[in-house]
Amino acid sequence: MLEQTLLLPAILALFLPLFTALLLAVVVPIRRHGWAAAGASVFTAVAALVAAVHVFAQPNDGQPHVWSVTWLQQAGAEIVAFGVRVDGTSASMLVIVTLVATCVQIFSLGYMKDEPRSALGRYFTYHSLFVFSMNLLVLAPNLLQFFLGWELVGLTSYLLIGFYYQKPSAGYAAVKAFWITKLADMGFLLGLLSLFLVSGGFDYESTLQPQAATVVTLCLFLAVMGKSAQFPLHVWLPNAMEGPTPVSALLHAATMVAAGVYLLVRAFPLFAQAPITLNVMLWVGSFTALFAAFVAVVQTDIKRVLAYSTCSQLGYMVAAVGAGSAFTAYFHLTTHAFFKALLFLAAGSTIHAVHSNDLASMGGLGKKMPITAATFGVGALALAGFPGLSGFFSKDSILEALAERGAWIPLVLLLVAAFLTAFYMGRTYILAFMGEAKGNAAHAHESPSNMTGPLIVLGMGALSIGWFGHAFAEKVHQDYHFEFGGLGAVASLLGLTGLGLAVTLYSKRRHQIDQSPFLVGLASVVNTAYVDRLFVSGFRGLALPLAKGIGWFDRYVVDGFINLTGWLGLATSRQLKRLQTGNTLDYIVAVVIGTIIVLAWGVVS
Amino acid sequence: MMLGHVLYVGVLLFCLGLYGTLTRRNVIGILLSVEVMANSVNIVLVAFSRFTHNLLGQVFAVFVMSLTVAEVVVGLALVILLYRTMRHTDIDEASQLRH
Repeated sequence: MLEQTLLLPAILALFLPLFTALLLAVVVPIRRHGWAAAGASVFTAVAALVAAVHVFAQPNDGQPHVWSVTWLQQAGAEIVAFGVRVDGTSASMLVIVTLVATCVQIFSLGYMKDEPRSALGRYFTYHSLFVFSMNLLVLAPNLLQFFLGWELVGLTSYLLIGFYYQKPSAGYAAVKAFWITKLADMGFLLGLLSLFLVSGGFDYESTLQPQAATVVTLCLFLAVMGKSAQFPLHVWLPNAMEGPTPVSALLHAATMVAAGVYLLVRAFPLFAQAPITLNVMLWVGSFTALFAAFVAVVQTDIKRVLAYSTCSQLGYMVAAVGAGSAFTAYFHLTTHAFFKALLFLAAGSTIHAVHSNDLASMGGLGKKMPITAATFGVGALALAGFPGLSGFFSKDSILEALAERGAWIPLVLLLVAAFLTAFYMGRTYILAFMGEAKGNAAHAHESPSNMTGPLIVLGMGALSIGWFGHAFAEKVHQDYHFEFGGLGAVASLLGLTGLGLAVTLYSKRRHQIDQSPFLVGLASVVNTAYVDRLFVSGFRGLALPLAKGIGWFDRYVVDGFINLTGWLGLATSRQLKRLQTGNTLDYIVAVVIGTIIVLAWGVVS
Repeated sequence: MMLGHVLYVGVLLFCLGLYGTLTRRNVIGILLSVEVMANSVNIVLVAFSRFTHNLLGQVFAVFVMSLTVAEVVVGLALVILLYRTMRHTDIDEASQLRH
């Protein structure tokens, strides 16, 4: 009974979006109509959300419940299964994904209403495909199905970043995102293959030899670095902001980029066997958190601030897993999904009103758009770790986990990042919502209710979700104690100082601060273009010659051998066919000569 | 009369038949030459049967005769068809099956 009430809704949550995506993809009139496609997609998202909540609300005995069919088998033994696996972790992630997806799709109804109808239909087709792919990944009972979902969300990310394909920069950004993440996904593939070689399966909980565990997890972590935008593979995420803003909220902040961290949490039994990998994660994560926070300080595009902030927060999560505390990473993933989706949607609301991403052309929006301003403020405070809001609890538990591990230098990096986070969020809020409104901002209006509604829902989540840490920990069967200790006080103090500094600096002189030598110098130092150039020269210097060499080998040696056998056959038959003259007497002569040879052979031997 | 003499006749006849088969251009001539070869074999069979007092060879000769009758029936039918389509019976001209 429990199996059915748990698994059936989970299967529905997985396959309903697939059905809708296929329907919209195949039945062209619905897609062309635009609003019909939007209705179908939103309806599916709501249905998936209801199913997910149903799964989540069931009492949980700590055991995973699996429904699966055999996917590949050898000699009757199952190698890999396809299905759904429901436990506390996947059930809660399912709720996060479907909830944020629903909010974002409803928000899109307002945000995208001026798009041509066929483009609108295309947009919602991709969204349904995304919800399916993400649920496929979340519910995966093994790493191979996880990989399938992983690649599919990569595909939808590509499609949605390149949604405005008439814009060359959007096409470029889509290709860049695809290229970088595929480069990293080679690691996933290698990790899967080596895992299969050493364990004969794709389970999350295999026990491996120490060296094998290190190789497998390092390969998997490479994929995580690509998907979750860790330095130096973070370069695609800022460009991904070329996509529509709701897409950035759903894919590039709340869910898809968090899939990397979800993989770390899901396969933590594997990662826990490799202390070297955990150390790498600790350092990469904390460095990314700090580096991206520095970059975020000097951005002038509101979406880019949030993009680098996402990099930075994902760095926190990776560092937490590296410290051996998968639960705190997962907790931060949850709270981050709420407040970062909220921030992006609120930013989308201002962009919708001002028709520009540039912070310089905003300002004074607080009076014109009170709901947007209030919800953005809540999100910013939650991100900054303001005491009592969701980000405070999860960020604090990550810091505690690092302190418990004794990783002092990464801890300091994260504390500085926390200070910078508060600073740049204060700066962004002040530049966008306070001061004098000018230009388009002077004529801005509050967005319609189908845009503010999702903002309010997510805002309530960002306000309250932090208080449910214990219930959440119980759900995923992890230990969690929250005590407001000295470290929490330091972190809060740093956050408040950052906010205060931003207020004192920016509320008076606003854009002059951005022109100050210190910030301009910082911008030139932490410029992402350097990393971009590294990739381009690496591509030109290594990948292209290698590909050319392999191409030559394939064209002239491999293909040459194949063509040679074909040519040999042709040449031989061209000579042999002269024997067939059609003249009966020639054939008789052949018969006679043949007979004589056979007889002679018989006589001789 | 020795066995050898009879065998010489058989071999001679066989070679004549083979020569005819290879040199004739007329299909009917070829058919006749093939018959000569078959009968040379018959002579050899009967000769061995006669000199070894084994009737099996003669039985076999009767078999060969009935077979050659059947063969001639089919062969002549083919010749008639060939003549009807090509208005001649020259084997060198009938090489269309090459293509």
